[in-house]
Amino acid sequence: MEKIVEIKKLTKSYKVGENEFNALDNIDLSLNKGEFIVILGPSGAGKSTLLNLIGGMDTPSKGDILIDGENISKYNEKQLNDYRAENIGFIFQFYNILPTLTVLENVELVRDIVKNPIDSKEALKGVGLEKHKNKFPSQLSGGEQQRVSIARAIAKNPKLLLCDEPTGALDSKTGVEVLKLLRKQCDGNEGANTVIIVTHNSLIAEIADTVVHVKNGKIESVTSNEHPKRIDEVGW
Amino acid sequence: MLKKKMLRDIRKNLSQFITIFLMVFIGVMAYAGIESYMDGMEKTANKYYQENNLQDLNVMGANFTEEDLKEIKKIENVKDAERKLTLNGTTDGDRTLLLSFIETNNISKFYVFEGEGFNPESEGVWIDKYYADENNYKIGDEITIKYDKIELKEKVKGIVNIPDHVYDVKDSSEIYPDHKEFGVAYLSINELPEYFRIFNNVMVDVDNKDKKDEVKNKIEEKVENAIAVTNIEDGASYTSYQGEIDEGKTYIGVFSGLFLFIAMLSVITTMTRVVKKQRVQIGTLKALGFKKSKILLHYIGYGFWISLVASLAGLVGGYYLIGNFFISMEMAFFEMPNGAPSMNISSYIMAVLVVLTVSFITYLTCRKILKENAAETLRSKLPNVKNNSLNITTRGIFKKLGFSSKWNIRDIVRNKMRTFMGIAGVTGCAMLIVCAFGMFDSMNYFIELQFEKLYNFNYKLVLNENISKENLNKIEEKYGANTSKTLGIEIKNGDIKEANNVFVTDANELIRFVNKDGEFTEVNSDEGIYVTYKLAETKGYKMGDEISWHIYGDNKYYTSKIIGFNKDPQNQNVTMTRKYLESLGVEYKPDSLYTNQDLKDVKEIENVELIQDKNALKDGMENMLQTMRKMIILIIVIAILLGAIIIYNLGILSYTEKQYQFATLKVLGFKDKKIRKIFTEQNNWIAIISIIIGIPLGYYLTDWLFKTAIEEHYDFGASIKMITYVIAGVGTFIVSYVVSKILARKVKNIDMVTSLKGNE
Ligand SMILES: Nc1ncnc2c1ncn2[C@@H]1O[C@H](COP(=O)(O)OP(=O)(O)O)[C@@H](O)[C@H]1O
Ligand SMILES: [Mg+2]
Repeated sequence: MEKIVEIKKLTKSYKVGENEFNALDNIDLSLNKGEFIVILGPSGAGKSTLLNLIGGMDTPSKGDILIDGENISKYNEKQLNDYRAENIGFIFQFYNILPTLTVLENVELVRDIVKNPIDSKEALKGVGLEKHKNKFPSQLSGGEQQRVSIARAIAKNPKLLLCDEPTGALDSKTGVEVLKLLRKQCDGNEGANTVIIVTHNSLIAEIADTVVHVKNGKIESVTSNEHPKRIDEVGW
Repeated sequence: MLKKKMLRDIRKNLSQFITIFLMVFIGVMAYAGIESYMDGMEKTANKYYQENNLQDLNVMGANFTEEDLKEIKKIENVKDAERKLTLNGTTDGDRTLLLSFIETNNISKFYVFEGEGFNPESEGVWIDKYYADENNYKIGDEITIKYDKIELKEKVKGIVNIPDHVYDVKDSSEIYPDHKEFGVAYLSINELPEYFRIFNNVMVDVDNKDKKDEVKNKIEEKVENAIAVTNIEDGASYTSYQGEIDEGKTYIGVFSGLFLFIAMLSVITTMTRVVKKQRVQIGTLKALGFKKSKILLHYIGYGFWISLVASLAGLVGGYYLIGNFFISMEMAFFEMPNGAPSMNISSYIMAVLVVLTVSFITYLTCRKILKENAAETLRSKLPNVKNNSLNITTRGIFKKLGFSSKWNIRDIVRNKMRTFMGIAGVTGCAMLIVCAFGMFDSMNYFIELQFEKLYNFNYKLVLNENISKENLNKIEEKYGANTSKTLGIEIKNGDIKEANNVFVTDANELIRFVNKDGEFTEVNSDEGIYVTYKLAETKGYKMGDEISWHIYGDNKYYTSKIIGFNKDPQNQNVTMTRKYLESLGVEYKPDSLYTNQDLKDVKEIENVELIQDKNALKDGMENMLQTMRKMIILIIVIAILLGAIIIYNLGILSYTEKQYQFATLKVLGFKDKKIRKIFTEQNNWIAIISIIIGIPLGYYLTDWLFKTAIEEHYDFGASIKMITYVIAGVGTFIVSYVVSKILARKVKNIDMVTSLKGNE
C-alpha cells in the first residue's frame, strides 16, 4: 500500500530548565494513504507533538519525516509554509476560527491560500451550516464552531487532514456528528485523502482503520482494524 | 501570594509596563518641568527684586537737587529714595556703556559676584557680569570711560548684577542683547568733575505697594523738577522679563498640557489592555473564592505603584532636566543671579491626578470584568462579537473588500476605544509637529513681510526734533526726499477718546503697504485715511466711515473718511499721505528719512539722531528666533517620541490580541508577508486619518497661540508653508510606518504550537 507518512528515528526534545526532555523519543512510524487513522494515548504522551511535526507546524530535533516521499524535516520556514498551504488541513480542539469574520468568510479565507479550493458554500453545505453562513462565530454553538473549522479545512481539499482532539470540547452527540464529517472526508475522493485524529478517547479508536498507540514519547503499538465499526455503533 | 503574582505579571508584560512608566514619566516630566521653569522665572525674579530692593518708581527730570530728594523722602509711604545720573557713554573699542552715577546703593542694590559692593568713597567702576565675561574683564582691570569731553580711567571694583538692568539693549532697534558690545557700568558721582554732578533720575522705594499711585501723584505735584514719574512695571527691563513669563505661560501651558494628554491616553489604553488580558485569571481568582475587593485592590496596585514611581521620577526629572535647561537658557538672555526652577504646587497636584486617574481606570476595567460571573469569564474563549455592530460590514460595498480590509475594518469597529486612542495620539503628534514648524514659518513670514515687503529701504535716519528747514533740505538732497512723520492722536469713538497714532507717509516706494493677503496695495489717495485691518476689526470701522480725531497738544478736531485698509504686523494705526495732512492745514515736518544708500561706514550724520540699519533690525529678530528654534526642536523630539511610543504601544497591544488569530492564519498556510501586511494596514489607516485631522488642527493651534499670546497691537496669525504640512504629514506617517514594520517583524516569530495551545 502507498505510504503517506513515513517517520524515521524521530526525536523531539524540549529544554525544561537545565534538562532536555524528549516529548518524542526516537520513533519510527509509517501510515497508509487514504486511511482513517487514530493516534491514541494518555494526556502528555506526545500525541500533539507528533501531529504538529507531521503538519509542519514544528521542526524535529532529530530524524526524518517523509510526506508522500518528500522529506519535510529538512524544509526551511518558507518551504514549510508552502507545504502547509498546499497539503494540510488542521482542526483543533478550540476551533481556531477568526471571531471577526462571518462563517462564510472564515471558509472563504482559504481562497487566498490554495489555487483550487472547493467552493466555500459547498463546503458549508457539507457540514450542514449553509443557513448560518452570515453569522459570526460567537453566535454559534461549540459543535457548530467546530464544523466551521472542518468546512474550512475541507475547503482546502488537503491531502492530509490533521485533527487534534476535535471532539474534546464537544458533547457526545455533536462529537459523533463531527466524526461522521471527518470520516466522510476520508471516504470520498477515491482514497486520496488521509485523516489523522489525535485523541485520548479509546472509543474513537474503534472506528479507525489504523490505531497508533503512543505512551511516554514512544510508539507502543500500531494496530489495524480489519473491520472498523460504523460511528453509530460506537456506544458513548 | 498575590504580590508574587503581581511581580510576575509585571515581568511578563514588561514592555507594557515600561511603556506606562515612560509615558507617565515623560508626561509628568514635561508638565512639571515647564511649570517649574515658569514658576522659577517668577520666583527667581521676585526674590531678587525683593532682596536687592528694586525701586518702585522712577522719577525723571533734568536736575534733581538735594532739596528735591528730601522733599520726596518726606512724602507719606516713601521708604527711601536715591538720586542717579544715567548717561550713554562709550568705552574701549568704541563699545557703548550705559553709565549710572550714584551716591548710595540701597535701592536697586548690586548683587556682587566678584569684588566689593558699592562705596561712594571708592574710586572705580562696577560692571555687569555678562559684559565682564564677554570682554574678559577681571577685578582690578582698567577701563576707559568717555562721555562728551570727560574721560575717566577706572579700575574694576566689582562684577555685579543690578535689579533694574535685567534686560537692557543699546537702542530699541536691538532685541537680543549683545553683551560684548553693550554693558552697564556704575560709578560714584564723585568720579565726575564737580560741575557735572547733576542727577536726572530719582529711584523711589515705596513701603506700601498699593499706595504707589498716590505717591506718584504727590511727587508730580510737589517736585517741580520731576518731568515724569513711571512705575517700574512699565520699564523695559521689568516688562521684557515679565513678558517672557506671560508669553511662556500660554505657549508652554498648551504644549505641556497636550503632552500630558497624549501620554495619559496611551497609559489608559495600555492599562486597560493589561487588565483585560487577565480576564481568565480574574475569573479564576474569583472562582477560587477571593473577595472582590481583594482582587480589585490587587489590580489597582498595578496602576497605582507604577504611576506613583513614574510620577515621582517625572517630578524630579522635570525639575532637574527640563526646568534647569530652560532657566539657564533664559538666564543667558536676562541678567539675574541665582536663576533656578521652582517646583509648583500645580505639578504636585497634576502628579497626584495622574496617579489617581491611572488607578481609577484600572479599577473601572477590573470592575467591569468582575461584574460578570466567574463561569462566564472563564468560559468565553471567543471575544464576544456583537452582530449588530458588525452587520453593516457584511453588506454592500464591504462585501467586495478583500479579506485583509474586511478583517481590519471589523477589528477597528470592535476596538473602538483603542482605535480612538490611536487616532487621538497620532493626531496630537502630527498637530505638535505642524505647530512647532508652523510657529517658525509664521515668524519667518512675519520677518519677511516686515523687512522685505513693508520696509523697502536699507537705512532709516531718525531726524533731530529741532532740525531746521535748510538742514532738512540738505539731508534730503543727499539721501533722497523719502520721509515720514508719526503723530500722536486721539480718536473719538462715541464718548470715549482713544490714543493712537497716525503715520504720515511721504516715503514714496521706500515704505510699502500690503493688503490682508500680503499683496502690495497702494496708499496714495489724498482724500482720506487708511486704517489697519485689525484696528478696523476691533473698532468696527467700515469703508467710508468717518472718524473724528485730534493731534495731541492741539484741540482742533478733524473728520476723516476711511478710504482703504492695510495690514501691519506690528502697529494698529492710521495712515495718510503727506498731501492729505497738508490739505487739513497741518504742517508736515518729517521725523524720519529712508534711504537705500550704503551707510555702512557712516557713524554720524549731522542733525540725525540715529542711523538704523534695516538688516541689523532684521538680525535682531532672527536672533530671537534662534532661541525659539531650540524650543521647537525640543517640542518636535518629544512629539515624535510620544507618537512613536503610542503607536508602538497600541501596536503591541493589538498584536498580542491578534497573535492567536495570526497563528491560525499561519497554520492555514498564509505567508508571513501577507500576515504582516494585514497587520500594518490598520496602523497605516490610523496614521493617514490622524494626519488628515491633525494638520488642520495644527494650523488652528498655531493660529490660536499667536492670537492669544501676542499683544493687541500685533497682527499676525499662523502662516504655514505647504512644505511644512508635507513634512509633518510624511514625518508622522514614517514614524507610524517604521514602528508598525518593527512590530510586524514579530510575525516571523509566532510559535504556532504555543500560540494555539494557550488561548489567552
Ligand atoms: N513547548 C514545550 N516545552 C516543554 N515541554 C513541552 C512543550 N510542549 C509539550 N511539552 C511536553 O511534551 C509532552 C508531550 O506533550 P503533548 O504532545 O502536547 O501531549 P499530548 O499527548 O497530551 O498531546 C508533555 O509532557 C508536555 O509537557
Ligand atoms: Mg494534546
